[in-house]
Amino acid sequence: MIEASGLTKRYGDRLAVDGLSFQIRPGRVTGFLGPNGAGKSTTMRLILGLHTPSRGSVTVNGRRYRDLSTPLREVGALLDARAVDGGRTAQDHLLWLAQSNQIPRRRVDEVLELAGLAPVASRRVGGFSLGMAQRLGIAAALLGDPGVLIFDEPVNGLDTEGIRWIRGLMRGLAAEGRTVLVSSHLMSEMELTADQLLVIGQGRLLADTTMQDLIEGNAEAGTLVRSPQWPGLRDLLEGRGARLRPDQQGRWQVLGLNAEAIGQLAAEHGIALHELTPRRSSLEEVYVQMTDTRVEYRATGPAPGQPATTTSSNGG
Amino acid sequence: MRTSIEPGRAGFAEGLVSEWTKFRTVQSTRWTLAAMAAFVLGIAVFVGATRSLQPDDTVLGGSLTGATVGLLVAASFGVLVMSREFATATIGATLMACPRRGVVLAAKTTVTAAVMFGVALATSFLAHQVGTVMLPDTYAPGTPMPALLGVAACFSVTALGGLAVGTLLRHSAGAITTMVSVLLLPTLIGPLLGGWERWVAGASPVAAVQKLSQSSDAAPAAVGSLGAWPSLWLVCGYVLVTLVGAGLVFRRRDA
Repeated sequence: MIEASGLTKRYGDRLAVDGLSFQIRPGRVTGFLGPNGAGKSTTMRLILGLHTPSRGSVTVNGRRYRDLSTPLREVGALLDARAVDGGRTAQDHLLWLAQSNQIPRRRVDEVLELAGLAPVASRRVGGFSLGMAQRLGIAAALLGDPGVLIFDEPVNGLDTEGIRWIRGLMRGLAAEGRTVLVSSHLMSEMELTADQLLVIGQGRLLADTTMQDLIEGNAEAGTLVRSPQWPGLRDLLEGRGARLRPDQQGRWQVLGLNAEAIGQLAAEHGIALHELTPRRSSLEEVYVQMTDTRVEYRATGPAPGQPATTTSSNGG
Repeated sequence: MRTSIEPGRAGFAEGLVSEWTKFRTVQSTRWTLAAMAAFVLGIAVFVGATRSLQPDDTVLGGSLTGATVGLLVAASFGVLVMSREFATATIGATLMACPRRGVVLAAKTTVTAAVMFGVALATSFLAHQVGTVMLPDTYAPGTPMPALLGVAACFSVTALGGLAVGTLLRHSAGAITTMVSVLLLPTLIGPLLGGWERWVAGASPVAAVQKLSQSSDAAPAAVGSLGAWPSLWLVCGYVLVTLVGAGLVFRRRDA
């Protein structure tokens, strides 16, 4: 469990993280989304005690990171795969980490095996590809068998097989009851791995919701409707408070009323429907919509089919 | 399935073991030490072979002619112990493994001091042996004990000065330049400072080593009128203050 309350970090006059409050719970993969410079990495560094918050606090398992007695046994983190001394072998890098938290030496071999690095264990890290360095970073994160795992862009530089491995690994770690926080700019990746989403923009929390609620609730995707008796249907839909938009193919996009309600309404009034297509936005669309238009969302789980309450932010 | 690991600690002792592993698993730090020893011994052989020392010099002083450059390497070694962590960003992993930064610095300080003391003691002892064998009896022998212990201690403390400055500045080049200035400038500007001269010129580890080695270079005009051991204590004092300052900055700064 990772818990932040009013977490704020200021660098000079730039507010990198602005009053973040969230809880990251065990047993699921929490995706951390936001455009570059949104404050994802800063937030992770604050969680790990590398940076000190200007205001507010963040705890891991109820304690500040700096107060953990054997941190590597409680939290495993991969921030930057290249942040290793290239002059050391993979094995030696893991060895000093293990020794610092009195982790038995056999764990070094175990995590090397787990990360598929056993054949290159005695090679210097400087010669590693980015993918191999990512694997080493993940091996280091798993070294202390921690209950909380934090990965910053873990699929960067990995090939297809590596990406699939990470995906399975993260889901597996969550299924074992661990807390898994993973940031990525790859929406498709998030859609496949994350259960819970934390979206930030300009250091502020935009959404803290499940993947499904975010897409269903915040995506103004609506339902596509085509009907030979459109004017009649239109009046009925507007009477129910739906918002309508024409699309290029002569269909209408109905927002604020789901497919079941539209179909029911048409049937009750004997209106023929030639098309009734619920449209699901991809996470990517939702994300672009949220972050690009700088719309601040208070996503406290809006009811499906209802538009999310949105308030325009003036960016201040 | 979570594998179970028997509980453990992450304190100073673990920090020491971990820092020792870090030290011995990177070649560049070992090469720096080897270069230092080779240079000091090489100069001792050169002085012994060519008799290039003042008539009033001691065997001990002549054998340790290379110590001044040796000290520059020792300072660089201390700088690199810390600046390499910043340059490679390994510092992040170090602080995640041990978030108590005072403990990290204490462990690094201990390993650096011990390694440098051992290497410097062995090197200066061998250099003295070289001088004893190669130089004729016409030179005064000098008193090697406890002077050699003091010389080794001075190397060790100089490395810690480098470590402290490396912690403060984080960049190798700037920190090494600073240390070179600290080592060489006091003897250059000391004589210009009148009554303060003994505190300034005597404050350099170079002055302390020259006095400890009973070299004829250790004329009060060049290295201050402070005695050998007081000079060493003065250096220790300055380095301790710098280390404490570095520790305070290191604890507060974002990494």
